[in-house]
Amino acid sequence: MTAALRDPRKLPSLIATVAVIVIALVWLGPLIASSAPNRLVQSGITGLLVGGVYSLVALGIVVINKASGVFNFAHGGMMMVAGFIFFSFFTTSNIALPFALIYSLVTVGLAVSIFGWRNLLRQPSLIVIGVVAVIALTFVLTLPGPNYKWIRGIVGGAMGAALLGLAVERFTIRPLIGQPLFASVMMTLAVSLILNGTTQLIWGSQPQTLLIFSEVNPIGIEVKASPLRFDTAELLGGNISVERTRLYAFGLSLVAFLAFWLFFRYTSVGLAMRATSENQMLAQSVGLRVRMILAIAWAIAALLAGVAGVLHGGATNLDTNMQYLALRAFPAVLLGGIESIGGALIGGLAIGLTEEYSKLLFSGDIGEQLAPYIVLMVVLVLRPEGLFGQKRIDRI
Amino acid sequence: MSANIRPAGVFDTGYAQDIALNRTRTDKIQAYGGFVLLLLIPLLTVAGPLGLNIVPQSWIGIINRIGIFTIAVLGLNILIGYTGQISLGHAAFMAVGAYSAAFMVRGFTVGDFAFPALPFWLALPLAALFTGLVGLLFGLPSLRVKGFYLAMATLAAQFIIPWVLRNPLSTWTGGSNPLQVPFPELGPLQFNSSSEMYYIIIPLAVFMALAARNISRTRVGRAFISVRDNDLAAELLGINVFAYKLQAFFLSALFAGVAGALIAFEDNTVSVASFGLDTSILTLGMLIVGGAGFPLGPLFGVAFFRLVEDIVIPFLKDTLLRPETLNSIAQTLPFLDAVKINSSLDPIMFGTALIVFLILEPRGIAHRWEILKISWKLRPYSH
Repeated sequence: MTAALRDPRKLPSLIATVAVIVIALVWLGPLIASSAPNRLVQSGITGLLVGGVYSLVALGIVVINKASGVFNFAHGGMMMVAGFIFFSFFTTSNIALPFALIYSLVTVGLAVSIFGWRNLLRQPSLIVIGVVAVIALTFVLTLPGPNYKWIRGIVGGAMGAALLGLAVERFTIRPLIGQPLFASVMMTLAVSLILNGTTQLIWGSQPQTLLIFSEVNPIGIEVKASPLRFDTAELLGGNISVERTRLYAFGLSLVAFLAFWLFFRYTSVGLAMRATSENQMLAQSVGLRVRMILAIAWAIAALLAGVAGVLHGGATNLDTNMQYLALRAFPAVLLGGIESIGGALIGGLAIGLTEEYSKLLFSGDIGEQLAPYIVLMVVLVLRPEGLFGQKRIDRI
Repeated sequence: MSANIRPAGVFDTGYAQDIALNRTRTDKIQAYGGFVLLLLIPLLTVAGPLGLNIVPQSWIGIINRIGIFTIAVLGLNILIGYTGQISLGHAAFMAVGAYSAAFMVRGFTVGDFAFPALPFWLALPLAALFTGLVGLLFGLPSLRVKGFYLAMATLAAQFIIPWVLRNPLSTWTGGSNPLQVPFPELGPLQFNSSSEMYYIIIPLAVFMALAARNISRTRVGRAFISVRDNDLAAELLGINVFAYKLQAFFLSALFAGVAGALIAFEDNTVSVASFGLDTSILTLGMLIVGGAGFPLGPLFGVAFFRLVEDIVIPFLKDTLLRPETLNSIAQTLPFLDAVKINSSLDPIMFGTALIVFLILEPRGIAHRWEILKISWKLRPYSH
């Protein structure tokens, strides 16, 4: 405060901060006070549950930006396509052998090629591993019947996501090395258009129900899991219900988040990725294969997108609106700080809470259409580097 | 910028000559002659006074669209091509222009005070100015942030502005429902068809293109380019970077406002849905394909996309994708059907065109055009 008073350049941001706080208190205070306490708790719980998926999406965007410096506007498209691929393998019980074979061949081929084709010839063991992988994956994908739907869906979906990430990196991002920021932004927007078109081409624009969190109802048909109800009438003046699908999605999101965080923290590939994100040339000079690291980063981010897509699809529906969900994760990324993995978690949860509380306090579609972008503008004006990001210092 | 290759025997003797738009008499004749020919096109359609059927009537609508979007992309070119600031919210500014022009010609009431209905000729510049001011507002974050962060601020504009139009202003805008807009009138003349709107849109598009060209030739334009190339160096040269960024935002939104207002008058209706994020991406794609930072880039990009959308895709649907072909595709690949193929054709073609241009010709058609012009002037010697 006193520093800001001494430095006139910090004065506008100080005034803006005070103004935001005053507006928040004067405008929102009465609204919050007049709401029923059970509604407030309800919105808080739902917001946190929604925020879990946002965190996962935000983590995917952060991973790509840390590794390759690209801001991936195609993340929503990747989420959507990977989710739909999972859906197809999950629900189709008889996959044709030729299709499964070609799918496995393409995926394994692209995955092996990140080591470089020359290394492939030098190390025959890679070819053996590749052939074994193709046969094993083909076998898993062609397992018949609904008993194997989980393994089929997970393997097929993971292959689809990895294929998507590797293909996007190889054919659209790599040719842009050395081009300005605008070119990479446009490229990811173009990729998201193509992914959107592909989804409409193959799966149509109708929402699909993905029954991963399901129970069997009394008539014997599989339906979405029913909400949990808590009787808190005496304590809060009303009951609270928690949707089970969202709860499971939230839990699995946190598990996935933790798994990827541990991966970055403790594995050598994760260490190499962090080194590459710090300084690509330096990483190259100590012997890291930067191109391989970038390919792996994109594959991992696509896997994250796939997990988020499946979990979000299971909690609600699979549809083409998912690409806007990823756009709403950008405010979460900026709020947490674009370099920070922990910031992605906090930012995602904060955006989820903002959405739910603004839905509670104001009517209309303010929650999803407006609230995240208001947060975005506030962050950009007050603290562009986010809560946990590094402050940028430009040098000439 | 255009290469400085002159016809033999033409020498510049001063700075004014160096930056002149028409360097030779041939240039001048070509420019004015081209403009007159452009104005003659609607006379050659069935609806023209001579009843000639040389130009199909549908082309007039296509040329109108090209003119309108050229104005919008010219604005984007000032912001991105010259000043180097990314905007993902151009369509939102077009919406502001469209709605403010619609309000002004319809007249509207706030409480007890009734604003009178203005004629089209006054509403258009006022709407453009108002849009420019809104653009200025959303350019304010450029005080602190740049690059990707600024792009995110404009993305916020792309969502906040349509929301404001749909919800708090819904008493005037009718929410998500379309709003009717009357025809422009000038004395006894009524501009109520696309052949007549042509005579508003095309001269205006030429005027705006000249304005954009002139801005890029002046001190302001050179300041924009210096901000784009290196903002720190520009600041050290004594250029007020923030003021020029704001000017670029103002001009870009002003152009978008004109384009949006023209869309409203051409269609006689406005709805928020036609100014979504996809329209913003479309204008960005047009700029990329045409060539950012070239005076002719916007025209090339817009013409390319309109031709693909209005001529190539219908042609594809008539020849390659006839119903019987679609049915046979659907029999071999059971998950495809005709409806899905038709609806997905647009985004896939657009995305593919964008990716091809970004990889193979990131400087756009205008750059190719410059190369072509130089090699034509240097023929038969290649260098």
